[in-house]
Amino acid sequence: MGGAGPPSRAPSSGPPPRTPPIHPMSSTPLTVEVADERPEHARRRRRPFAGGLSKRRLPFALIAPALLFMVLVHVVPTAAGVALSFKNLNTFTFSQLFDAPWNGFANYDSILFDQANPLRSGMGQAAVNTLQYTFLTTVGTLGGGLGIALLLNRKMRGQRIARTLMLTPWIVPSFVVAVIWGFMWQSDVGIVNKVLVDYLGILSERPTWLIGENSLWAITIPSIWRGIPFAMLLFLAALQSIPQDLSEAASIDGAGPWRRFRHITLPLLRPLIAVQLLFTVIYSAYQFTIPYVMLGSNPGPDADLMMTLIVRQSFSNNLFGFGAAASVLLMLAMFVWVAIWYATFRRDLQESR
Amino acid sequence: MTYAQRRRLGNLALDALTWGLLLVMLAPVVWLVISATQGTGRLATGAYDLLDPTFVAFKDMWSSVNFGKYFVNSLIICTAAALLATAFAASAGYALARYRFKGQGVFSTALTGTQLIPGSMFLLPVFLGFIWLKQNTPVALLDTHVGMILVYTAFFTPVAVFFMRSFFLAVPRELEDAAMVDGCTPFGAFWRIVLPNAAPGLLATFVYAFLFAWDELLFVASLTQTRAETIPIGIRNFVGNYSEEYGQLMAAGVVSTLPVLLAFFATQRWLVKGLTAGAVKG
Repeated sequence: MGGAGPPSRAPSSGPPPRTPPIHPMSSTPLTVEVADERPEHARRRRRPFAGGLSKRRLPFALIAPALLFMVLVHVVPTAAGVALSFKNLNTFTFSQLFDAPWNGFANYDSILFDQANPLRSGMGQAAVNTLQYTFLTTVGTLGGGLGIALLLNRKMRGQRIARTLMLTPWIVPSFVVAVIWGFMWQSDVGIVNKVLVDYLGILSERPTWLIGENSLWAITIPSIWRGIPFAMLLFLAALQSIPQDLSEAASIDGAGPWRRFRHITLPLLRPLIAVQLLFTVIYSAYQFTIPYVMLGSNPGPDADLMMTLIVRQSFSNNLFGFGAAASVLLMLAMFVWVAIWYATFRRDLQESR
Repeated sequence: MTYAQRRRLGNLALDALTWGLLLVMLAPVVWLVISATQGTGRLATGAYDLLDPTFVAFKDMWSSVNFGKYFVNSLIICTAAALLATAFAASAGYALARYRFKGQGVFSTALTGTQLIPGSMFLLPVFLGFIWLKQNTPVALLDTHVGMILVYTAFFTPVAVFFMRSFFLAVPRELEDAAMVDGCTPFGAFWRIVLPNAAPGLLATFVYAFLFAWDELLFVASLTQTRAETIPIGIRNFVGNYSEEYGQLMAAGVVSTLPVLLAFFATQRWLVKGLTAGAVKG
């Protein structure tokens, strides 16, 4: 790896490399670097051989594996995915793989403008659902996480154990979350309806959760439930780093709890809220596992998200070009979100540095 | 009521609220465990009898859909991927923490940028690429452990890099300087001095990657058929394809949560440090 650099000086121009490889496990010969008091040019001359990992080259060698994997699994496939979105790759052309015929903007055209295309109506609904799901999940996760973090930041008996146990929902894998809640939402025997109808009597009729207009809630509420602990963890860490005396000083000046929160805590949390907003929105917009496991590969028009739709069209209906084009549009939507986010929170990010 | 009394009452109410919320948050998990001990019959009618648990589902789940295969596959794939991701993240994270190099900003941004790509965007080309390799070369990645390990390694390396970076920043720089004065190469200082000092960070990063790999469904559903399928696929098979074995489904839910739960609570102290360091300090 270290041999990749340019041999800038001929090996013969200086004394021979002083040292043998020092690490027996390393395949790269390493030169020992002793603290050297001589001026820069003199030192350079003494490290002539390209095989050594100089301080200049070491960082490149260190990032090489991560970089290689990023290029092979993220960069190249994403570029290929963009290319495929302009191709006509379906059941009939699948055997040609990457050599499928070019299709121009036909995929995009059918998604965005072709009224007659039956896929398009589903796409519009899925986009609206994704927007709703993302908004509700983000607000619920951050709001709930902040609320619980404020509660757990108080002095309380059993505080430690409460903080630790509160993290449990986040450790439960998403696919298990979908299984648990899918069972709790059952209309006739599920615990949710039992509590709402039989025990508390809040509702007189048993709602159906897994089909129809409630089904978006059926995936949103478990997502919030799983997301809250992680948001709480981050908020709690930030709250603990806020110096107490600020709040105490305000308290002496007569500020009540709400005003202390509004004017001291919240502004200090703004950078963290910004970071969480960014990633919770992206993560929610790309949600796949929970609807897929709870409601199946076709969650129905009321709970179909962009990801479930794209995966279904690509892998069940073999409309790969269509799926690739929809993925590109989804990604562009996220670029727009990042731009809006950056414009909004730019100042907070600089202040936090 | 005096001020002190009112204050104490208010505090008591907030304590009660906190514990109440904790109960609500834990209830679904408790309900999963209870349901797993009720048997499919009682689950179907909703008539639970908490005093009469049955553990037959925990026994049957291993034979009815061969859950052992999925479990072992998950263990192999997630462990190997988490190990590789941790190794890659350690070396890259060290470079970011200690060196200034050309393209550093681009590299950092690209790492964050990977999180912006929807899975479906690169799933398809990876899928096609695996098929192409199968048809044109002896490289077998489709439906193999190696294929999944490579994909997951790439997935969880980017965030893990920032994890490791924050742990390295906490290691005092003087340690390396001293080592280099004593004749260590820069790499030797990293390998023999800094890495051992960042051991808790390595552990936390490993558990982070393991946790997320354990939960991955989209790619494993498309890139495997029979041999390398993991737990999420197995879970799906309890309902639908085979039979409506809800009792076993719940039991399988418990069994597939246990490993990550144990791993998390065993390493909680360091994991929390890694998770919060990146976000809170920016």
